[in-house]
Amino acid sequence: MNAPAISVPQGSRSLGPTHGGNGHGNGNGHGHDGNGHGGGHHGPVLQYQPGLPLTRGKLFMWLFLSTEIMFFAALLGMYVVLRFGAPVWPKPHHVHLSEPIGAFNTFVLICSSVTIVLAFESAKANKTKSAKSWMVATLLLGSLFLGVKGYEYAAKFEHGIYPWSPRSRVFEKPDLYYGSAVRARLGEPAMIDRLKELDDTPEGKLSTEEVSARRRLLKVRQMVVDPNQQAFDLAVVADQVMPLPTDRQLATHEGQEAGGGHGGHVSGLNDIFPWLKLPAVIPGGTMWASTYFFLTGFHAIHVIVGLIVFSILLLYKLGPKRAGMIENAGLYWHFVDLVWIFLFPLLYLF
Amino acid sequence: MSDHEPPSQAPQGHGPITRLGGIPLPDDNLSDHGSDASHADEHSHGGIGKYLLVFVALCGLTTLSFFTYSPYWPWRDQPYVGWAFMMVVSCTKALLVILFFMHVFWEANWKYVLTIPAGMMAVFLTLMLVPDIGMRTRMASQERVLKMARPSDVWLMEKAGETQLLAEPAPH
Repeated sequence: MNAPAISVPQGSRSLGPTHGGNGHGNGNGHGHDGNGHGGGHHGPVLQYQPGLPLTRGKLFMWLFLSTEIMFFAALLGMYVVLRFGAPVWPKPHHVHLSEPIGAFNTFVLICSSVTIVLAFESAKANKTKSAKSWMVATLLLGSLFLGVKGYEYAAKFEHGIYPWSPRSRVFEKPDLYYGSAVRARLGEPAMIDRLKELDDTPEGKLSTEEVSARRRLLKVRQMVVDPNQQAFDLAVVADQVMPLPTDRQLATHEGQEAGGGHGGHVSGLNDIFPWLKLPAVIPGGTMWASTYFFLTGFHAIHVIVGLIVFSILLLYKLGPKRAGMIENAGLYWHFVDLVWIFLFPLLYLF
Repeated sequence: MSDHEPPSQAPQGHGPITRLGGIPLPDDNLSDHGSDASHADEHSHGGIGKYLLVFVALCGLTTLSFFTYSPYWPWRDQPYVGWAFMMVVSCTKALLVILFFMHVFWEANWKYVLTIPAGMMAVFLTLMLVPDIGMRTRMASQERVLKMARPSDVWLMEKAGETQLLAEPAPH
């Protein structure tokens, strides 16, 4: 605490109890000097010792952030122990995560951190106009981040990866439960009609990819109802529905192309016929989905709150008077950026 | 440092509101009085050039961690090397953001009061999760073990991916 270093200029009014609530004051020794010189006030004067040399707003923001540190530490810690305690964890490509998109979002957040800092500096220097434009830039970058996140979420939903079970089409392993789920899906009345329609379509009306996929689908339909089904058959079915690119394919960048260009087929049946929506197998995928949506969801909520704060700040004239507010909003925003700095490698690259 | 401020205040602080010397200020005006006087000392540290430098460093570090994903990363078969590398990069990035963007580098000693206990709690919280959650599969029931995905399932899927069975045109 540096309080004793402060001296009160002579002639200033004594600090009485009425000013105590201001959250600022003087070190005892100097304060007493001030009183002696200033007004000859010799009664018991209440001196206010500041707890911390910062404003209440900033103090509370930092207290809030320290609770947030623990909140996200618990979330990230949960992710880490779940991930490393799990016997199997999906590779980012198994769950259709795109590293470049994640890196782009990281870049967007870093940029928004810079713009909010620049907004703060401009406001302090009383450049209200540039402060406002930096603030607008921050708001736009934050929205862009959310938009990209939404796009990523949509891609997950498209592949049947949901955090909750009735909607999720992810199975942990190609076992009998998986086989019966595929059978149930293929046996739905609407699906039977749709499949019949597909079977009746003349070959000329389909692309070569679709023709081969139709043949594969036919085989899959036979395999799931085959009474002589082998255990391995369901793995083949799962691979046809949604293939998992292997490490080797990823290393050679082969897996970059949609669905992983391995073996004789390019992409899964679900990709070629999006209406199929067959259950897919991603070992470790259900736990992955829970943690992914939990972590990024809470992060996204924080981003939304930040955007609301920025929108409110934009209603004011962003001069030196609001610099404290901008600083606090900035502290919060940097924290949100900070969380993403850890989320990005943990989710996309590990 | 502006003239009217006592020099002893120099290490005190940063930010708009840390000026404590001088005339007691009414509560509401605390921040604006502080800011116009203290922004002289802002220029000594928080220059825009410095922020841009940090920004460039952050972008460079992001590229570095992204590099582990590229095919040119030499330790693709040893994931732990990449993970350790990425964690070092992330911690460096976090440190840069905290120190410069959050101005902690220029703050008074109160920063330790808030950040160190919170940081310790964070580490502690994570460690507390290890025995219950991190090691949960060591004591799992037989039923659970049967239903959960195991490395053998990944192997099975990979083998299934190698079969060319269905790629051939079906005999008519």
